[in-house]
Amino acid sequence: MKKTFFLSFLSLTIFFNQNTFSQDVMPNIYLKTLSGKSVNTNTTFNKNGLTIYSFWATWCVPCINELDDINKEIEKWEKTNVKIIAISTDDSRTKRRIRPLVSGKNWGFNVLLDENQDLKRALNINGIPHTVVTKGKKIIYRKIGYKPGEENDLYEFILKNSSD
Amino acid sequence: MNFNKFNFLILFFLITSSFIHSQVIKNLNSSFESYSAYYLDDSKTGDFSFDKRFRSNNYLNLKSYTGENWNFELQIESYAPSPLLNYSSNFEKTNISTFKVQYNKNKINVQLGNFYEQFGSGMIMRTWEDKDLGINNSIRGLNVKYRINNKINFTALFGNQKKGFKYSKGYVVGFNSEFDFSKITKNDSTFLVGLSYVGRNDQKTKSNFYNEIANLFSARIDYSSSSFYSNFEIITKSKDPIIVFGSVSETFIKNGNAILLNSGFFKNGLGIDLTFRRLENMSLFSEKEAYGNPYNESIVNYLPALTKQHDYSLTNLYVYAAQPNVSFLSKDFMKAGEIGMQADLYYFIKKETLLGGLYGANIAINASLWNNLDGNFDYSNQNYQTDLLEFGEKYFSELSIEIRKKWSPKYDNILLYVNQYYNSRLLEEKSGIIRSNIFVLENTYKINNNKSIRLELQHLSSKDDTKNWSAIGFEYNMSSAISFYITDMYNYQNPVKEKKIHYYNIGGSYRKGAKRYTLNYGRQRGGLVCTGGICRYVPESTGISFSAITSFF
Repeated sequence: MKKTFFLSFLSLTIFFNQNTFSQDVMPNIYLKTLSGKSVNTNTTFNKNGLTIYSFWATWCVPCINELDDINKEIEKWEKTNVKIIAISTDDSRTKRRIRPLVSGKNWGFNVLLDENQDLKRALNINGIPHTVVTKGKKIIYRKIGYKPGEENDLYEFILKNSSD
Repeated sequence: MNFNKFNFLILFFLITSSFIHSQVIKNLNSSFESYSAYYLDDSKTGDFSFDKRFRSNNYLNLKSYTGENWNFELQIESYAPSPLLNYSSNFEKTNISTFKVQYNKNKINVQLGNFYEQFGSGMIMRTWEDKDLGINNSIRGLNVKYRINNKINFTALFGNQKKGFKYSKGYVVGFNSEFDFSKITKNDSTFLVGLSYVGRNDQKTKSNFYNEIANLFSARIDYSSSSFYSNFEIITKSKDPIIVFGSVSETFIKNGNAILLNSGFFKNGLGIDLTFRRLENMSLFSEKEAYGNPYNESIVNYLPALTKQHDYSLTNLYVYAAQPNVSFLSKDFMKAGEIGMQADLYYFIKKETLLGGLYGANIAINASLWNNLDGNFDYSNQNYQTDLLEFGEKYFSELSIEIRKKWSPKYDNILLYVNQYYNSRLLEEKSGIIRSNIFVLENTYKINNNKSIRLELQHLSSKDDTKNWSAIGFEYNMSSAISFYITDMYNYQNPVKEKKIHYYNIGGSYRKGAKRYTLNYGRQRGGLVCTGGICRYVPESTGISFSAITSFF
């Protein structure tokens, strides 16, 4: 019985990992603004173009590097009509560092809080940094991790897809 | 048989119904994570002393969002042939871990099955998943949310708490309400109020001397304006027995409480945050006997250490874990909780100034101090009376200064200094106080758009415990997909010659889109491992490990 169950687990894993099926819609989840107000992801996305959701945390060095690197050329990004939302996954241990940090960074994009990681879990995100790009509510791109220079690849992707 | 019929029926139902329901399939979103290790004997740290050398943790998660209203979720986990070291034996073989059906429309959100929930800061209740620490304390039951509008919402929940593949005897019940009174304040400031109740009924240990139910009430307010914020939370916990030497006491029964006060100010590159917290007898387990278990199973509320969360290996040798518990081990060892504070200062030095240079610099200073509660402690009668704002013996203090600076488009570095005081006697029931000074220098050099190298140098100096350590790390990012690293930690002044051990690791990773694979060979230090403010002890081990993380959309 145990063996059967394990085998079915394995086959299920292989089956679902063939990428046959795809969920491509951004789920509706309640997040909080920096001042603690509730907002639903249903109302935050860019209705006329692309939205980048960048999952980060105050303790995640590569996440902050990525957001800093995007912010350095924010005017260039804004010309593509993309909306950038930095989703903080900090929990109550570190969330009080968000506002001082964001203030010090002077980031030119929205920051929303996913304190108990409801959106992160709903999108099956296993680690940060993690970037999700949507067109309307449709998910068109996902990426795990960040290394210096990768923001250029993301920019190229945005440029290519915002014109269609 | 390791899985029960109930789970099997659920699996059968979910799979068959999902195949029938093409909508579910069409919107399926899956992720798979696998962490495996093959443990080796080690001439320095000893032979592998457990039964299975190959161990593997695997998580398959399936979710479906059909239209706007219905969500389905199923997570199957496999720990075959055995879970990795340091995971609870309640994780055994392959089984359904969590499942959920959710209905979401307009003002109503109903969840049936395993749900994750947090009230306020989580101090009264938080259920979440952290695979690194083996935590999944979700509640299986019913969760109903009702949002009257964007300003007022209510949550009611009821269920049994998960521990491994098993569930608690007895239940957790909760109620939460949040009100947004921002209109009565001026301009763009916000004013929020929250009230919560959590009840824990433990059917596992019963007695005529105490109630099965512990009742907790929380009230909190949250004010925020464009450059200032302040929040305050207070919790009371009704009488609940203390665990004395591993068993539930029938005579030592006490109330608990918590106070949290946090304020911050931020403007033009300057940010200051101050936090005060006092916890007295505040730990809450769905089964009282789970107190002190090394796997953090059955915890109902989230009480993280309020200290800086460090990134570097030597800054994580002497880590503070929050002390919410009552612990009476001897006349010289009596704790009833913790009291203390933390301060953070962030400052951005502007570009083109004397200190800022061409690119500016970031400075972050953190200071924290945590002490035992003070009061009258009576060991022979097993009782205590605490003072509200008095500080008892010091558990831990820390001062850290971090400077991040970019020197050129290609080169930047981080300089970190940390001074720590760690009361090993009260925190780990060992002897002595450990005072240490740590220096870290991290350098990153961009070779071109996709190639970069990172060099990390660390040193810890201490006259106490195992004395000085040094550590080095080197990382080479070959392309956006591939990177390699080599690290070593060496306790070169350990007074015991055999314990002067190199903890080396070598490995690499490959990633593409939402997939990531890693391979590592090396020696892990035993001791306290902490993520997100929750810590647990792990034994030393040597081996080869492999991980695969994939999400699909």
